[in-house]
Amino acid sequence: MPRIEFDNVSKRYAPSSAAVENLSLTIEDGSFLCVLGPSGCGKSSTLRMLAGLESITEGEIRVDGKRYNELKAQSRDFAMVFENYALYPHLDVYGNLAMPLAARKMPRQEIARRVEEIANTLQISDQLRKKPRQLSGGQRQRVGLGRAIIRDTRTFLMDEPLGHLEAYLRQQLRTEIRRLHEELGATTFYITHDQEEAAAISDRIAVMSEGRLQQTGDLLTLLDNPVNRFVAEFIGNLPISILPASIASNAASPELSVGDARIPFSERRASEIADSTRVAAGRLEAGVRPDAVTLHEESARHRLPLRVSVVEPVGDMAVIVADGPAGRLRAAVPSDSAPSPGNSVHAEFDASRILLFDGDGRNILRKT
Amino acid sequence: MTSNSQVAAQFSLRAVLALGAACVVVGFSLFPLYIMITTALKSESDIFSWPPTWTFEPTLQAFKNAFLLFGGQNVLVFLFNSVLITAASTVLAVGLGSMAAYALARFPFRGSKHLAFFILSTRFAPPVAFIVPIYLMFRSVGLIDTHLALILFYTSMNLSFVIWVLRGFFADIPIELEEAALVDGYTRWQVFLRIALPLVRPGLAATAILSAVFAWNEFLLANIITQRDAATIPVYLSGFSASMGIAWGEYMAVGFFAVAPIMIFTLFLQRHLVRGLTFGAVR
Repeated sequence: MPRIEFDNVSKRYAPSSAAVENLSLTIEDGSFLCVLGPSGCGKSSTLRMLAGLESITEGEIRVDGKRYNELKAQSRDFAMVFENYALYPHLDVYGNLAMPLAARKMPRQEIARRVEEIANTLQISDQLRKKPRQLSGGQRQRVGLGRAIIRDTRTFLMDEPLGHLEAYLRQQLRTEIRRLHEELGATTFYITHDQEEAAAISDRIAVMSEGRLQQTGDLLTLLDNPVNRFVAEFIGNLPISILPASIASNAASPELSVGDARIPFSERRASEIADSTRVAAGRLEAGVRPDAVTLHEESARHRLPLRVSVVEPVGDMAVIVADGPAGRLRAAVPSDSAPSPGNSVHAEFDASRILLFDGDGRNILRKT
Repeated sequence: MTSNSQVAAQFSLRAVLALGAACVVVGFSLFPLYIMITTALKSESDIFSWPPTWTFEPTLQAFKNAFLLFGGQNVLVFLFNSVLITAASTVLAVGLGSMAAYALARFPFRGSKHLAFFILSTRFAPPVAFIVPIYLMFRSVGLIDTHLALILFYTSMNLSFVIWVLRGFFADIPIELEEAALVDGYTRWQVFLRIALPLVRPGLAATAILSAVFAWNEFLLANIITQRDAATIPVYLSGFSASMGIAWGEYMAVGFFAVAPIMIFTLFLQRHLVRGLTFGAVR
């Protein structure tokens, strides 16, 4: 199975604006990589360059060490699944599935056998004589998947294949895609803007923003050890709270102040900060995930006093949105102990899970 | 119950009115055809009887004459010329035009929009304005009174608008369909033939009909650069008014041959003029 390398790849549609900038990324053979990012972050351009549908402005794409930049799309032997299915409307399902095989001059009987086999796998055997417009969205994407897996390709490129489907079908099909990946063992390059989907389906997630690769890793790494403020804010089901912070240097033991709260810090963590503040110019921000916060009625030196503005019930948990002079904080608490809007609360942070960002948004506590 | 029957009455009244209006329009359109065909089937005395007779003894004499007239140069010769020239120029115009249109729609380059407009602009001048230069050009290369001359002229006249119309049709194809085919392993040429062309079928049919109608009906240039060998049906028809007064029966019989083939061709292609072929392709 192929190993795909992006080596310092850039894509510019106009000289001044880069869609993708200096992207270096390796996808190990047989692995499932998800590129995750907001729309316009360059993830689609990345995939299209890999597919050969878009020229590469700078850098090199290699597959198994071989330079692919100049190779035409039809010679790359990749299979692609499109967000909007891209089924051939003038052909029926059978014709659509047969197209990649016919391109390889496969004998008729062999094509018929393969189509039947794939249709069985994807449970579309009774749809073979239908035209794409007679199918539902989920069935259409099954055909799209079938068209991709029908030839023995060793690389799949998927461009938000589940983007247009409703939640239930999305879940069903993503299981299917993962199962196919396990079965075929092909290298898969998958694009999505849905982090839950990315986490569920892939071995590794690459987060992109504004044309640049921010970080790669599994979901837990991205959650607990983000490289910068963008990743911290983008990843996570519930939004992270960002509050201005500073280090109290003249205290007996190292302390972190967030608003009025003075939070004791371990010597080791404090020294990490002291090291990296050399680069950063003064300003510090603390990032706290809602589940790293507990709310209390009594005040304390290490707690931040706030007033509850909104209570959002989320199943057996509730997200408390509370405001104070330092800014807005979100906390996840069990529903039965949720305070009411207008209540005063004192937020306590799990010191080991506080993230600290410098003036440039870098995570200065990042463990490497 | 009352309201229901009222609605039904209203509905049927509207249907009757619509049907009546349709009949008037159809009758108005078909009446000249009716006159042409009946005149061709009448004997000479019936043609000139006044008031016109609605019932008459049909005769095929006029049709027979049409095959014998003008010293052996019967209608079949001109019919053959017309069919050959129309078919060849239509195939060429739509064939070459679809390739040019695809290129303009899919491979934009510096100034490609201007080029497209320039191509359309070649159609702006009235043909009569450049008939003399065209005649001189054809004469200098020895193409006077040849099929090739008319095929070339009609192809070039039709190309501009075929390109212009098909460019829009090609641009409307979702690009992902062609990208999917490229990734599936097809060359650009195969994508054009197997994906793009089938999806612009309505455009191909429409431009083929209009190209064929233009070539079939064109009289001005055909009359000037053809004499005998390559003369088309309209040229032949115009000859009737010259000699021995107008033989109305024969005139109408030949007119029938001038109208029928292009009507059949158009009716045949009409079923391809459906909209929304690409519906359901994406999303």
